[in-house]
Amino acid sequence: MSLLVARGLTLEAEVEGDIVPVFRGLNFALEPGRVLGLVGESGAGKSMVGRTIAQLLPPGFRVSHGTMEFDGADLVAMAPEHRRSLLGREIAFIPQEPLTALNPVLSIGAQLDEHHRRLGVRGRRTLREYALAALAAVHLPDPAGLLSRYPHQLSGGQCQRVLIAMAFAGHPRLVIADEATTALDVTTQAHIIALMRELQRASNTAVLFITHDLRLAAGVCDDVAVMYAGDIVEIGPAAQVLGASRHPYTRCLQLANPPMLGTRRALYALPEQMPGLRALARLNGCRFAPRCPVKADYCLRIDPPLEGDLHRSACLRPGLVETIEVADQLAPPPWRPAGETPVLALDHVSKTFTTGTWPRAVEVAAVRGVSLRIAPGEFVAVVGESGSGKSTLGRLVVGLEQPSAGRIALAGTDVTAGDEAARLHRVATVQMVFQDPQSALNPRRRVASIITQALEAEGAKFAVREKRVRALLAEMGMPLELGVRMPGQLSGGQRQRVNIARALCSVPRLLVADEIVSGLDVSVQAQLLLLLHRLRQDHDFALLFISHDLSVVRHLCDRVLVMHGGEIVEEGPTETVFGWPRHEYTRTLLAAVPR
Amino acid sequence: MIRLLRRYFYPSWIRSGRVVIGLLIVLAVLAAAILAPVLAPHDPAEQDLMLTFQPMRLGSPFPLGTDGLGRCVLSRLLHGASLALKVAFIAAIGAMLLGAALAYAAGYLGGWVDWTIGRAVDVWMSFPPVVLSLILMVGLGTGASNVILAIILVDWTRFCRVLRSEVLVVTRRDHVAAARLLGFTHWRTLLLEVVPATIPLLITLLALEMGIAVVVEAILSFVGLGVKPDQVAWGQMIADGREAIYQAPANLLAPVAAIFVTVAGFNLLGDGLRRTLDVRLVEGRG
Ligand SMILES: Nc1ncnc2c1ncn2[C@@H]1O[C@H](COP(=O)(O)OP(=O)(O)OP(=O)(O)O)[C@@H](O)[C@H]1O
Ligand code: SF4
Ligand SMILES: [Mg+2]
Repeated sequence: MSLLVARGLTLEAEVEGDIVPVFRGLNFALEPGRVLGLVGESGAGKSMVGRTIAQLLPPGFRVSHGTMEFDGADLVAMAPEHRRSLLGREIAFIPQEPLTALNPVLSIGAQLDEHHRRLGVRGRRTLREYALAALAAVHLPDPAGLLSRYPHQLSGGQCQRVLIAMAFAGHPRLVIADEATTALDVTTQAHIIALMRELQRASNTAVLFITHDLRLAAGVCDDVAVMYAGDIVEIGPAAQVLGASRHPYTRCLQLANPPMLGTRRALYALPEQMPGLRALARLNGCRFAPRCPVKADYCLRIDPPLEGDLHRSACLRPGLVETIEVADQLAPPPWRPAGETPVLALDHVSKTFTTGTWPRAVEVAAVRGVSLRIAPGEFVAVVGESGSGKSTLGRLVVGLEQPSAGRIALAGTDVTAGDEAARLHRVATVQMVFQDPQSALNPRRRVASIITQALEAEGAKFAVREKRVRALLAEMGMPLELGVRMPGQLSGGQRQRVNIARALCSVPRLLVADEIVSGLDVSVQAQLLLLLHRLRQDHDFALLFISHDLSVVRHLCDRVLVMHGGEIVEEGPTETVFGWPRHEYTRTLLAAVPR
Repeated sequence: MIRLLRRYFYPSWIRSGRVVIGLLIVLAVLAAAILAPVLAPHDPAEQDLMLTFQPMRLGSPFPLGTDGLGRCVLSRLLHGASLALKVAFIAAIGAMLLGAALAYAAGYLGGWVDWTIGRAVDVWMSFPPVVLSLILMVGLGTGASNVILAIILVDWTRFCRVLRSEVLVVTRRDHVAAARLLGFTHWRTLLLEVVPATIPLLITLLALEMGIAVVVEAILSFVGLGVKPDQVAWGQMIADGREAIYQAPANLLAPVAAIFVTVAGFNLLGDGLRRTLDVRLVEGRG
């Protein structure tokens, strides 16, 4: 018998006075001991499925039809006490943000004890034994020492292990993991996934694995359900859904993901984005139709049902899925003469930060003796796990940090001093695209004003700026009317384009981009990567691309630098480094990437 | 379209009850202060020793009665409002200018500038404010402009401390770094990227400070260290009114009520603005 069954589950939300469906008639079943992946882009309603199970819905959200049965009992209609007795014991959660999920003022030991007491464990000595066993089960070193530590003294990965230990402590029958590894490094992610698999197999737990990462889902899940706009559009065994898709959306998502193996093919960039809840409520027929590459007229009238036996999909023309293709070769980078002056030259650059105050000041070496050259027009990536010094390196290059030692030259001019002359030279040669557009764009300026800030600094006339706005927006593939919007009125992908446009406005010779595609949906990421490729053909700029996503790096960059502990441990052409890694650390990094 | 118009004509702060009530009170007091020469039935200094301690009676020539020198309480109350508001506005703006200038310098420049200003604020705030202002008044002598100066010298720290942390947060945002990288001078960056984000907080602090200034001026006038004896001040009226608390309670109660209402008006306004303008609080409620 299935452990968790959704039958015609319909969730409605009140948006600006209208009642709109969040998902309509959801059906799926999860068998004991199996892992069901729930994949799709943000806003597809994945998290809402998890929240419906716990009945932790935001205000205004309500289940209007259908049931969500756990072991035969409907969680929606169930008495709250009954549900509470199930949650935490029979049903456990692994949250997305490990640090916010733990109580910062209680030690790890105290939090484990509290959890175990809730599960019915009594007695100080027994509680301690349980806590030690729980930490040992998730392979945390020195469990006894950890008990007295506080969450902020642990890394994100260690916190996530503690939470996994808590989730599995009560031998639950169902675990819901909502983006449980999204906030973690690839290497940590690989460890956490392996750990979850191990615990899950050992106690025959069923897992609902919610993620936006298709490759990760392929490696972890037995079954996969693909969600789009609140509907399950394809569901079945993972190998079939992801290997032989029968829905255009699944296929497009896969083609939007840059591959780690095989040739560097082009990416499929789905146009636009998933419509919002209100727009969806007005849509007739297939909800994917506005973005579907193989749609027909009748798709706009007929709502396709989820059909099939084991592998079901909701598409009227599943036969055409195979025909969605992308070029299997990337255009080669523009040809450059050899021996040009490098746009960037670092010689033994180090950066040491002092944290805390005397006498407890601690010196942290973020970057240690890094030397590198970037030729004009070259796309170079810096990869490494978090804390390896990638961002500090970028900030040193643009002058937001001053080096403690070493020499920095931009386009042949020494800028190590960081004085006014160096600053003016930097303004003319190098720009930075920041990671978080939320913080990188002044919320009180309009888009047009943001993207021509470089001209504003020069004191350019209004007409000049207006002309540049038109050119830049067109180049970024954004309609002109977006120019009058405020950053808060843009989608994530549009904000990142504005971010890039502002940096390109002053025609820099080197662009430093720090994690500019992480945290975005794959289709938006593909759009941005496509944009960078195109800009490269039309403009003459080099790129220092900081990222932890190796597949994106492989797709975009000619050369890669691997950073570890503030040092560059390996460098070379991307294909060579990824194909024949020489350094131990590069090998670990590559092995951790799900493929 | 309708929705757009509505948003344009009714910005969010108008929809906050606190702001509307606070603003109405402040405007009413302001109107009383400006129109005092017209509204007041008598000259506030005009004495009539035959008519001392007249009781409160509507319709009589002295609606709020008279004080121990036979002066009209209502007229004195209205003229007192003009002094209270003058002190409140000038002192609050002065304290803001001094405090904000130092806060922007400390928060934006950081480093030793921040350290020095921070220590100065700490030292300053280690004195109890009332004691400090009394000492200042003894040193400066009485008079309205000295009251204003004393309030500025005591209360700039309030602006400086609160604003500095806000400036620090805004300065760390990436768009400020981006502006510098694009070639903005420090001045431009500060004025266009940092200051606009702190304006809501500044306006809020200003409204609250005006309420505080009204109280401080009343206290100083009460103990006789405030304005010159020939000026009408609410604090002085309270001091005089104490003697006749049983014969003519309006002498004491009217200025107390006036201070209470004015301060409440400024506080409602400040608190309402804080709730509607502060983005963080607005998001927190959603
Ligand atoms: N508190 C809320 N108020 C209003 N709408 C919300 C709220 N939370 C989520 N939504 C909407 O509900 C829909 C489903 O959201 P949900 O977070 O479940 O999507 P998701 O696919 O899990 O996204 P992500 O991958 O970003 O977590 C979206 O359209 C979203 O905008
Ligand atoms: S039903 Fe039509 S529009 Fe919808 S996914 Fe299939 S082909 Fe595309
Ligand atoms: Mg989600």
